[in-house]
Amino acid sequence: MQGEVLANTEDFGGPDPVTGPARAALAGKDAPYARYDLGRAYDEMFAPDGRPRPPYIALDSRLTSLALEELVRRQQACEQSFLHQGITFTVYNDNQATERIIPTDLLPRIVTAGEWERIERGLTQRITALNLFLRDIYGDGRVLKDGIVPREMIYGSKHYRREMRGLPVPHGSYVNICGSDLVRDEAGDFVVLEDNLRVPSGVSYMLANRDVARRAFPGVFRSMNVRPIEHYPLELLATLRALAPFEQDVSIAILTPGVFNSAYFEHAFLARQMGVELVEGRDLLVNDNVVYTRTTSGLKRIDVIYRRIDDDFVDPLIFREDSSLGVSGLFNAYRAGNVVIANALGTGVADDKAIYAYVPRLIRYYLSEEPILDNVETFLCREEKSLGHVLANLDKLVVKAVGESGGYGMLVGPHASQAERDAFAEKLKADPDNYIAQPTIQLSTAPTFVGDGVEARHVDLRPFILTGNETKIVPGALTRVALKRGSLVVNSSQGGGSKDTWVLSR
Amino acid sequence: MLSRVADSLYWMSRYVERAEHTARVMAVKLESLVEQQPEDARASWARVVEALQDAHWDDLPQDAASITKRLVFDRENESSLLASLGFARDNARQVREALSNEVWGNLNRLYLHLSGVHADAIWVHSPAILFRDVLDEMQALEGVTYSTLSHGEGWYFLELGKYIERVQLLGRVLDVHFRQGGVTPKYFDWLVLLKFCTAFEPYTKLYTASIRPQKIAEFLLFDPEFPHSIRFSIDKMTEALARVAPGAPPARRAAVERLAGRLKASVDFGQIDELMSGGIAVFLSDVTRQCEKIHETLFASYITYGAETVL
Repeated sequence: MQGEVLANTEDFGGPDPVTGPARAALAGKDAPYARYDLGRAYDEMFAPDGRPRPPYIALDSRLTSLALEELVRRQQACEQSFLHQGITFTVYNDNQATERIIPTDLLPRIVTAGEWERIERGLTQRITALNLFLRDIYGDGRVLKDGIVPREMIYGSKHYRREMRGLPVPHGSYVNICGSDLVRDEAGDFVVLEDNLRVPSGVSYMLANRDVARRAFPGVFRSMNVRPIEHYPLELLATLRALAPFEQDVSIAILTPGVFNSAYFEHAFLARQMGVELVEGRDLLVNDNVVYTRTTSGLKRIDVIYRRIDDDFVDPLIFREDSSLGVSGLFNAYRAGNVVIANALGTGVADDKAIYAYVPRLIRYYLSEEPILDNVETFLCREEKSLGHVLANLDKLVVKAVGESGGYGMLVGPHASQAERDAFAEKLKADPDNYIAQPTIQLSTAPTFVGDGVEARHVDLRPFILTGNETKIVPGALTRVALKRGSLVVNSSQGGGSKDTWVLSR
Repeated sequence: MLSRVADSLYWMSRYVERAEHTARVMAVKLESLVEQQPEDARASWARVVEALQDAHWDDLPQDAASITKRLVFDRENESSLLASLGFARDNARQVREALSNEVWGNLNRLYLHLSGVHADAIWVHSPAILFRDVLDEMQALEGVTYSTLSHGEGWYFLELGKYIERVQLLGRVLDVHFRQGGVTPKYFDWLVLLKFCTAFEPYTKLYTASIRPQKIAEFLLFDPEFPHSIRFSIDKMTEALARVAPGAPPARRAAVERLAGRLKASVDFGQIDELMSGGIAVFLSDVTRQCEKIHETLFASYITYGAETVL
């Protein structure tokens, strides 16, 4: 009883939490970690001997002193709050629309100051090279002439936008908002899994999750010197402002597909936090290559559009003519320099699976530096040596078709039968250019509250990188969690959730 | 302000007003159930249904539970309380960035609360309790709408929606009580009418507790100070009209304001004794028609205007 009282005062500004428990609870043995599996993957919280790693000691001491019912209560309070705030997505089943909250885990994932410093430098380096690459392929094409990247990979990509050739973008920044997916490999090193250069989402969950974790563990939060992230909307606003050719009275709008889009909450959230207009395609019109919104008082000019719709839908006159989400004439206004669109069009050419494999080379080519963050090892089957290796190791590798996503045209070697592998080998030999292969990676695991205890679940890390006239990364990220035991799939469409990420200042 | 945002705020507010009116009528009606004889109760239910529903019901159910189910919980019925709240919330979600957390949160919680209630469960105790709770929540919503939003253009679009809807709702509930022919309302029905319009106490302060239809009509039509009178609502509507679309071209503004001015004049100078011999229905339908015209002109001037007209 006395312990309980102390536990509560700690949370609300009482004595500082005990930082070292008398006897560390062991993963896999003691409550609340009795069912915590330490497998092959790197675990964020526990060292291989089952003891908590130093950054997690304060959280561990809190978790072992809190009654399970109290955790359940805090989890429910969090879900209730998400529901009331409308942080939901809609699932359609038998014509019945059901609103579900995005599952959120109470327990924070901790990134140390040293780890973050490397991530920050590595991502800045990477986005710099990628922006130079985009400027190059939509400009002189030096990288193609020098034979660093095969021409047909660019010109054959469905995300390459011929319309962008020779069109300058402000500060040479094509990708103004980037959300890169990092994972921690078995050795504990962060590697880049994917660059999302088109319309990355999730930043509102990064911010919403901070509220959740701070409310659930106020004492631990206060004691840990967690770096703030609340200024993200401000940084985003500054980034967008920097794209306009003038400084005073820049009129900015977020272009959303509308209320039925699964990320609509985020679009509205960012518009509110930045104090800019949230517009749909039907609110905009283009006259004489100038973009206007229709307001109650008349037409109002727009200078910068942060678009949250894909390239294909931006302008039915230039791209998909069946699109009702975009604005006729927008692209010509863009070409004429009367409006800035962020991200620029055509950035998708630099984030497909094959170009991904070239990013380390691009960093060396443009920056004459060694990559700070590695890629997941990727074999390009178009290169003869790699093809031989892939064919000899099909039982250990995941092979993916370059132009496909969502798991199509893919072979998961370790889970396939010999017959399936043989059949796939034939496809590979017939069209090697179309395939890449990667070893299966065990994403790291992090402690996750599952209702009656704390268990290990696989996670990734998505920081958000802003680039206007300079690159800024708010010290935080969306940590996505594969909520199903043993699952490696963190996507929210497939049972993934998320949790707060605490970047420590020292 | 974006025209689309103004559109959604206006409709959100209309649906909120409609939902509140429905909740109040239901609370009052269900509280008064025990006091009426079956025959009077039936006539009274018929008036309630007609006052609240856009579509005519060919089959008025015999029991209060079935009527309540349709008026409140039936999502297929576009005039039901739950449907109104759902439309209000859909509109609010479309303009989430134009509302405060408090406004959205209150409306969302209210909707989630009511949509989680089972229609049969309310009869276990006094069925009116649910509607009194809903009214409390609606008043909280009205409070945060007043206190957490800037009273700028968006807020005045909310005001416009609220008062245009209120005029229509008052018009209908008055019409079913004052029209000639049919079952004549009795003393108890007049009392209930005042309560439908949250007017019982304000009325007695002015006219004492002597319940006289002519005085009730005068109060609900022409009282300049009571928020649920037609005159008060039209005053507020005119005020709000003067505050929206400040930068719109004068010709466009004049079109709306002229109509509002004419409506205001007809109510400001209305005389109850001129209306009592059957003229109330005519007067009400004229007011309603003028409101519809104002709505159309408002949309044409500020919201759906063609871009070619301003370029």
